[in-house]
Amino acid sequence: MTTWRYIKNDNVTASVGLATDEVLANRAGAGTSLPTLRLYTYQPCALVGRFQSIENELNLSYCADNKIPINRRPTGGGAIIMGEDQLGVALAISGKADETYAHVRERMTQFSQGIISGLATLGIHVEFRRKNDLEVNGKKIAGLGLHKTDTGGLLFHASLLVGLDVPYMLNVLKIPFEKITDKEISAVSERTTTVHLESNTSLTIDEVRNIIFNGYRDAFRLNIRKGDFTKSELNEVHQLEKNKYMDNDWIFQTTDVPDTTGKALVKTPGGLLDIRLVLAGEMIKSVYIRGDFFTSEHAIADLEQSLRWHSSSENTMSGTLSKVYERWSDDLTNLPMDSLLNALSTAIQEAERTSRKGLADPYGCFVTPGGTHA
Amino acid sequence: MKKQFDFKSDRFYNSNHLWSKQDAAGIVTVGMDELGLDSLGELAYLTLPSERTPVEMDKAMGSMEAAKMTGELVAPVSGIVIEKNDRVLQNPLLVNEEPYGNGWLVKIEPTNWEKESETMVSGDKLPGWAEQEIERFETQGILD
Repeated sequence: MTTWRYIKNDNVTASVGLATDEVLANRAGAGTSLPTLRLYTYQPCALVGRFQSIENELNLSYCADNKIPINRRPTGGGAIIMGEDQLGVALAISGKADETYAHVRERMTQFSQGIISGLATLGIHVEFRRKNDLEVNGKKIAGLGLHKTDTGGLLFHASLLVGLDVPYMLNVLKIPFEKITDKEISAVSERTTTVHLESNTSLTIDEVRNIIFNGYRDAFRLNIRKGDFTKSELNEVHQLEKNKYMDNDWIFQTTDVPDTTGKALVKTPGGLLDIRLVLAGEMIKSVYIRGDFFTSEHAIADLEQSLRWHSSSENTMSGTLSKVYERWSDDLTNLPMDSLLNALSTAIQEAERTSRKGLADPYGCFVTPGGTHA
Repeated sequence: MKKQFDFKSDRFYNSNHLWSKQDAAGIVTVGMDELGLDSLGELAYLTLPSERTPVEMDKAMGSMEAAKMTGELVAPVSGIVIEKNDRVLQNPLLVNEEPYGNGWLVKIEPTNWEKESETMVSGDKLPGWAEQEIERFETQGILD
């Protein structure tokens, strides 16, 4: 029977936590470390996804003022907060061809089975939804990511919301609207849930960790042996932390295709529609849909999520939106698809104009690199 | 029913499912094959090495975010990058849509093509290898 190592960690810094996951996956791929399940918590921090712009996703001044470390994950997906109420789940295994993981490799749904099985014992019915989420009745309870290392290792990472302070999260994450209102807090609360809320308990993080541990053991039917890091693993973690996760070139990474933003405010039959989006080249990175029309927050979340990392071509958007409108036909009657599509196109055009202006004048009006300021 | 994937017979393939094709001037164009792309899902973001960057076979030359995972793009050949495809940086979906055409990634002036191309699959061996790879991906649950 296959054996995994289990490591429990608490209160790790962002840079150590990320470096540790990557080292374990690298080494699992190279065959120098055992497959490892790591269940851990971070010191309060904010982490963006692999190709997100940290300036666009996090409220950097709030983070600095409150001494909240920021960093970049190797996995994709959106910006998250981590802390004592969010359980980190990291599974580092080899992604190379052997039969041991034949039925699970590169399948996010199956890597999530430990979480799904564990929470089922609390009576929480969790479903895999979209690309990166585990949900309970349409509300997100965990975010997921998968990264393949160049040694052939696989890192599955999840952040499980055991508890969540929504106003705090909205202060840390940068939202494209001017103020954090009660409506904003209520909208996020409608879209997310926690182990505490769903189980109606105040289970400690250790209790939840044991439940998830048992979930993985039962779902994968293997031996999981409690263990610790080896000395050489710790040395590598230290090196990687220093060379990558404490390096501003990684944290504040810039890319060949810069992000641009666009917005549109459109009157629709159901009310005012407010669209904000981030564009990278011809891809929509993220969309925020707000307004004073009445509709289900779950339907709006589905619309936003379906357009994440999506082509900005109107035809392609139309095809995707049609499917979402089919799923939520009753809930989206106050937000006609044509109006939404028009507003999206307007916001995209604005972002494209900004992008062209940026290309023509990459340093803006007042700053010349190496020269004097106007 | 088994999924069908096209492997163009005029190029070389490696186990990372990157293809390499040398032109008459000796320049090697690199791209991703249909099977590899199916296992990744739609590409969302790419980084590629700049022109004049030296790359080494089996070492990372860029990175990508796809629907199913993030990962490194590992160079299939050693050499110097002479061109990167700016169109796929702007629209990574082009790689999924036209993997053997406009969705190419980089052009490399190879330094060791003769030897390195021997580690790849081409010609008569291609159909059998492709069949095995599809089988492997299916049994490992990589394909939906």
